[in-house]
Amino acid sequence: MNTNEPTSPTRWPQRRQDVAAGLWASFLVAAAASVLCFAFVDPAQLDFLPYAGESTAGRMTGYGVGFFFLWIVAAAASGLTLFLARTERADAADSEQR
Amino acid sequence: MNAETATGAAATSETLYVAHEKLYPREVGGRFQRLRVATVLLLLGLFYALPWIPWEGRQAVLFDLPARKFYILGLVFWPQDFFLLSWLLIIAALSLFFVTALAGRLWCGYACPQTVWTEVFVWMERLVEGNRSQRIKLDRAPLTAAKLLRKSAKQALWIGFSAWTGFTFVGLFTPIDLLARELASLTLGPWELFWIVFYGFATYGNAGYLREQVCEYMCPYARFQSAMFDRDTLIISYDERRGEPRGRRPRGIDHRARNLGDCIDCTLCVQVCPTGIDIRKGLQYECIACAACIDACDEVMDRMAYPRGLIRYATEASMRGERARILRPRTAIYATLLGALVAGFVAAVVLRNPLGIDVIRDRNALFRMLEDGTIENVYIVRLLNKDQREHRLRLSVEGNPALHLDTDATDRLVAAGEVATMAVRLRLSAGPAGGQDVTLRATAVDDDDDDDDDEAHLTATAVTRFIAPPR
Repeated sequence: MNTNEPTSPTRWPQRRQDVAAGLWASFLVAAAASVLCFAFVDPAQLDFLPYAGESTAGRMTGYGVGFFFLWIVAAAASGLTLFLARTERADAADSEQR
Repeated sequence: MNAETATGAAATSETLYVAHEKLYPREVGGRFQRLRVATVLLLLGLFYALPWIPWEGRQAVLFDLPARKFYILGLVFWPQDFFLLSWLLIIAALSLFFVTALAGRLWCGYACPQTVWTEVFVWMERLVEGNRSQRIKLDRAPLTAAKLLRKSAKQALWIGFSAWTGFTFVGLFTPIDLLARELASLTLGPWELFWIVFYGFATYGNAGYLREQVCEYMCPYARFQSAMFDRDTLIISYDERRGEPRGRRPRGIDHRARNLGDCIDCTLCVQVCPTGIDIRKGLQYECIACAACIDACDEVMDRMAYPRGLIRYATEASMRGERARILRPRTAIYATLLGALVAGFVAAVVLRNPLGIDVIRDRNALFRMLEDGTIENVYIVRLLNKDQREHRLRLSVEGNPALHLDTDATDRLVAAGEVATMAVRLRLSAGPAGGQDVTLRATAVDDDDDDDDDEAHLTATAVTRFIAPPR
């Protein structure tokens, strides 16, 4: 091929775009929610975690588990939203556009 | 314009014909690229050096998550000061809007971590695999020992750099000298190791492979930045009136006489674009305003002996020959809001109470009845000294005069930036019982109070619940 022509990447298939957008959006929301949540809650003082006092290990576990919990929750919402948006009947979507 | 649509269509079918999975941006030099390299060096230098800069015996910038304290130079932020940090984030967001309204996506082109790290990864790729045509040829070539060696060398560079990035990132949240010692002795905590790998992997994937696809498919800012744009926003634009009709031509001819514009249709502006768009089609949300096309086009214009700036930073208004307005309602509102927020933030930081008190009820028992009928509640009290100097803090109880404070010592010396934790018993000897709210107060009673009247007023209170059965 001629290396002096522009290259243009193939566009992502819709499914991949959905997965990326859903995971990324929920990642951003989970990160923000973790900051907000752990500003008010000290994981070292949560009842359902093994009480580790004001220890580094206990808090790091709290932050880590908390972040991934929030990410899963947000990803579930993203996934459900995408599912509902993508499974709309084609004719219904058409009539809306008109 | 018929000629324009015709060339546009030809370009599209051409790019469709040579469609590839991967984008190979062509390297380009020029003043904007030099500016970008300078910004990348500055920002990354700051990022990698920041955790190592000391400040009064500690790390200058440390968001100490394990200890729940944030240090930024001379300032110490506690979880109670969280609203100040959210305030700071709002200021940052508004600054982004302001800059975007003024000068478009400067953030994307020069400061976004995605762009900055991608620049470094592309540079490493170039270092090992050569320029654009060499990279394309290498990828098409069959797997040989030489190719394997080049690919492995690139991976080694990328992975090493990613690991260092992850380490530095975690070093902003946990003291980095401790982290370095733990790493050297292979005693990293599981979560520290996890986040180093997590952030390192994210850097590797985003800057090494996803690159412009993050901007194109995943970035929310790319989608809503158009809401901040107006006709006076500085954007990277192709001067259509000057460039069209585009077309190839021999050098040195009078192209105007042949009814040709200044664009020689060399497609270099498309080849250098890291997001693979054609700026000549107008503003597109994929454009990260890196100005690579400006540099590429200026070089071509120089070679053709045409004036520079066929592609340039310009506003929509100025492209139409109108005067550009910097001051307009949008920018005035952003600037006013920004000024007010910054002033409020500074005032809040300066005026914030350097003392704090946290009261936590003992978890084990609601109350205890002593032999003489006195009712006792137990609390854990934390006295916070957010000041830059140490204070002697005295604890007292307010509200019901029948309540007595019983603790080992009511006065505690708390060093700057430290917390004193004490067990406190409140005893109700007489009077009406039942649950009631009580106020615990910490007051600074420093020895040198005589000559400093302000210090005498340093105080903080917390309200807690005293639980007792009805008599």
